[in-house]
Amino acid sequence: MYRPKIIAFLCTWCSYTGADTAGIARLKSPAHFRAVRVPCSGRVSPELIMRTFDQGADGVLVLGCHIGECHYDSGNHRTAKRMPVLRSLLEFAGLEPQRLRLDWVSASEGERFSRIATEFCNEILALGPARWRVSEDQYRTVKVDRPPISDYTPPVFDQTLFDKQTDGMRKAAQELLSSQQVDCVIGYEEDQRGRTRPTFVYQPDDCSRLVWNQSCTHNLAVYLSKKLNPNGAYNSLRGGPSVAVVVKPCDSRTINVQLAENVYTREQLHIIGMTCTGVKVQPRSNGYLESLQGTQLQQRCLDCSERTPLVYDILVGEPPDDLPDRKGISSKALKITQLNAMSPTERMDVWLSEFDRCIRCYACRQACPMCECPTCLYERDDSLWVSAVNGWGGVGLNEKRTFHLGRAYHLAGRCIGCDECERSCPVGIPISYLNQMLASEMETLYHHRAGASLAPPPFVTILSGEEGLT
Amino acid sequence: MSRIQVAERTRKYISREQVLQWLAQLTGEMGLIAPKDIDGYVFYRKIDDADEILLDYTKPVLSIKDVFFPPSDKLFLIEKSAEELKLLPHPRLKEQVLFGVRPCDAHGLQALDAVFISAEPVDPYYTQRRENSILIGAACREMGPSCFCTEMGSSPDDTQYMDLMLTEVDGGYSLEAITERGCILLNRISFPLEDYYPKKPAESAPALPRYPYPSIESWLDHFSDKYWEDMSERCLSCRACAYVCPTCRCFDVRDETQTGDDGSQMYARIRCWDSCTGSAYRRIAGGHNPRPEEAQRLRNRFYCKFYYFSQQYGPDACTGCGRCIDVCPVGVDITEVLQHITGTRVAEQNNPAEVGVL
Amino acid sequence: MTADTQNDMLPELGVLATIKDMGAEIKLFSVKPLNGGRRDYLPGQFAFLSAFGVGEAPFGIASARDNGGTLDFAIQRLGSVTTRLHELGEGDIIGIRGPLGNCFPMQQFKGKNLIVLGGGIGGAPLRPVIQTVLQQRSDYGQLTILWAARHPSLLVFTEEYEEWRNAPDTKLHLTVDQPDARWDHNVGLITELLDRVSPEPENAVTITCGPPIMIYYVNKMLVEKLGFLPGQNYVTLEARMHCGLGKCGRCNLGEKLVCVNGPVFTMNEVGEMLESYF
Repeated sequence: MYRPKIIAFLCTWCSYTGADTAGIARLKSPAHFRAVRVPCSGRVSPELIMRTFDQGADGVLVLGCHIGECHYDSGNHRTAKRMPVLRSLLEFAGLEPQRLRLDWVSASEGERFSRIATEFCNEILALGPARWRVSEDQYRTVKVDRPPISDYTPPVFDQTLFDKQTDGMRKAAQELLSSQQVDCVIGYEEDQRGRTRPTFVYQPDDCSRLVWNQSCTHNLAVYLSKKLNPNGAYNSLRGGPSVAVVVKPCDSRTINVQLAENVYTREQLHIIGMTCTGVKVQPRSNGYLESLQGTQLQQRCLDCSERTPLVYDILVGEPPDDLPDRKGISSKALKITQLNAMSPTERMDVWLSEFDRCIRCYACRQACPMCECPTCLYERDDSLWVSAVNGWGGVGLNEKRTFHLGRAYHLAGRCIGCDECERSCPVGIPISYLNQMLASEMETLYHHRAGASLAPPPFVTILSGEEGLT
Repeated sequence: MSRIQVAERTRKYISREQVLQWLAQLTGEMGLIAPKDIDGYVFYRKIDDADEILLDYTKPVLSIKDVFFPPSDKLFLIEKSAEELKLLPHPRLKEQVLFGVRPCDAHGLQALDAVFISAEPVDPYYTQRRENSILIGAACREMGPSCFCTEMGSSPDDTQYMDLMLTEVDGGYSLEAITERGCILLNRISFPLEDYYPKKPAESAPALPRYPYPSIESWLDHFSDKYWEDMSERCLSCRACAYVCPTCRCFDVRDETQTGDDGSQMYARIRCWDSCTGSAYRRIAGGHNPRPEEAQRLRNRFYCKFYYFSQQYGPDACTGCGRCIDVCPVGVDITEVLQHITGTRVAEQNNPAEVGVL
Repeated sequence: MTADTQNDMLPELGVLATIKDMGAEIKLFSVKPLNGGRRDYLPGQFAFLSAFGVGEAPFGIASARDNGGTLDFAIQRLGSVTTRLHELGEGDIIGIRGPLGNCFPMQQFKGKNLIVLGGGIGGAPLRPVIQTVLQQRSDYGQLTILWAARHPSLLVFTEEYEEWRNAPDTKLHLTVDQPDARWDHNVGLITELLDRVSPEPENAVTITCGPPIMIYYVNKMLVEKLGFLPGQNYVTLEARMHCGLGKCGRCNLGEKLVCVNGPVFTMNEVGEMLESYF
């Protein structure tokens, strides 16, 4: 007979005592229930929950104090904000959303505890065993249909437009370096193969190396924390190093996020903002977008209507006016809709097939301007959260999925959608679907768009007035 | 594996359909690993259905390294009970055939063999896989934009390390037995094949290297250049270059808990890929890190390829496959490094005549 | 190719014969290999110890060869493997792989004055050197031991100091950075102590083992102030390694691999390496 494994994380101040109350009152509680006592529901990190499912749980129940009654004032606010987002993410990855439930039970509510626990257990029983945890012999590959490629034809811009912008950028850079306002300008250069890549200019004379074109895809803000805050200590930054950085509108939102997170100070930074006509698909020796290289705009640009950076010190170029509002025409948006229409099982098969070829090179993380932890949670020497097992055909697949989902979750409300992770991936995992799905969740739930202002991401703030009352 | 003299090799003409027919038979007989399309990306993967096998491809995203040196390898299992502790060694691998191996990938085995077989002590895990694998090479039609195998002492039709070699000719293929083991496999083909006589001797004019092969002395001269700082500033410290490389073989060893579906626990000692480009790679227990900067780490990677490795094991550790150039998200280019070392670098200008434009 | 005959990644099992507390978070483990094990190890060599289920890590062997069939390891609790080892008790089974690496050329040291400088837990691989000299006392010249630690509780092998002091032609100097109330020896860095002891370079060799920064400054003083040649100064280097067999590539210093070309080097060799250790 199927005996579900159900793990309940219970806050010691309320729901754990609530479970006791239920016991004392001799109320019936379900049998397949393993309680883990935690100091606060806010302690139940998404990593813990994912780990629990990875280890074979069929359901996870998180119970905390009612809003307004947290022993630590706002610990449960965090939980309240995180859980819905985590549930959406796990659902998107193929878990039935009913398997993760958050609720509130106070110490005196024995009856409520008993009711919620029984309800949850019955629901999990009805769902049957979770197939989240994958082992090598169970794993199967499915052929993933690539989304149809948008038939949008981007307008061809005259080269003189980019030459003019290149000129303007070089002049600005030269001026900043010769007046010693900055030590370094981070911009783009072209290598001998004709590829555009990041470059660092220290001498005014070297500014001739800088270029601007529709291949300037890199989000140069990835270099800022290392340049501006080499020791990772915000307090000592006044009068620290200063650099200028060339940004596109999307990159400028990265800077807002980094400023909101105190990675460096605004005074250290001189922003050379570029008006943007979109970035084209970049070279890859393999991959399904190969045929579009150099002609079609990147998927992220098809969904973007920003032409001018949100934050800048100098603006180079006029915002192009002959571009239609392209929002929502990318195949990425279409694919997310397609995925959402699938059954959880189908969706899980798709994601496992995608994650299986991950080689754990961590290029996605390293290319991400938001991934700034000195030691990544998923790469500790002691393998605390994920083991180092790696391979294909299902080998190390739980680990890979945990890494990708965990990383996506850590970026929720912070990711500005530059898609550098996806572009950097040597094996073409569509990581950006996860990020984009979470970005729209954050917009729907918390009206938060990463980098639109200097606002901190919703996970670190408390519930606002009316949300707090529900 | 004993190689057969060029003059004495069996060469058969085999049509495209026959190749696929033969591979379908092999799939049933023993493990077959061949190029396969996964979502638009080509990988060498285990083949269950012969229809998946690709014949037209440039080079797979990853080299064949992972067949011999998997991303993580179980060294042994640890069974622990209250009474005793047992170490269970890994199971022996069955014979397998690798089809469609590109010459650059086979060339990578030179470096891997040097580490795992030639240098004492022999590594049993790698060696066993090498012994049990038959390599069927596929000559490249042409060099890709990032390829530079000809500079690294190989060529698109190099038969080194292959047992059999498939080369496109006259609307079909020539199948040439390079080793005795390959010859046995060829003779086992169940349908009749005509002998193939190359129209001209196999020695076509070798492609001229586009830059000279750097000497050991030139590497020594350039160790302290500011160049390393400049070129590595853009490096993101990811490991894509090392993981796609046919010769990078650094590894980490760890014990991992293996939880069974029934909740039972066992441990496995695994070794898994690692790379010198990662920032914590050299950090020791007390926190000291001899290579804290990207410049030092990236320089180490290139010096390992062309200097350290040959000092330690004999051969160089670059095959010119160009994969690191393809995958680097920020345009770090190993051929640029070679040009710097040999003093043939064209300063910051477009020069498509010198290198392939991607 | 001999895939079946040997597997140097497979540890032998050993039993923790005795475990002694040696100070703050430092224990001395005596390991007795279950199958008799190898006893032909030399001062300066190292071995990997496995705490099964957590992992393995390399440690300098802290005993000379005739140690009653056991190998000693002085281990400070630092990372996950050492923490697990500290949790084990006498009679528990661990894995041991070794001996690995080169050794101190004790033969060449014969007839010479030896200056041995140990810093903290780094003193562990120097104990077999001291033991060897004391066992064959007349083969070697004067033995000067400079023993340092951050704090008295971090000094290793304190029980043996009496024996060392009382041996003929042997001097022991102790120093700590932060003394406690009972401390009646030197206070300060090992370089200050070295300056005071000021050994003569003639017919002498030095052996230093400790944190990288200590090795660096000790050798700077030996060469620049006391007139030693770098070739007279032996050190053992610590590096992150995972195989000890010259395969995993983790421990390279330029073209040298610490695990097979070392861990013992002269400072001359260290200086000639393309890449700096420090």
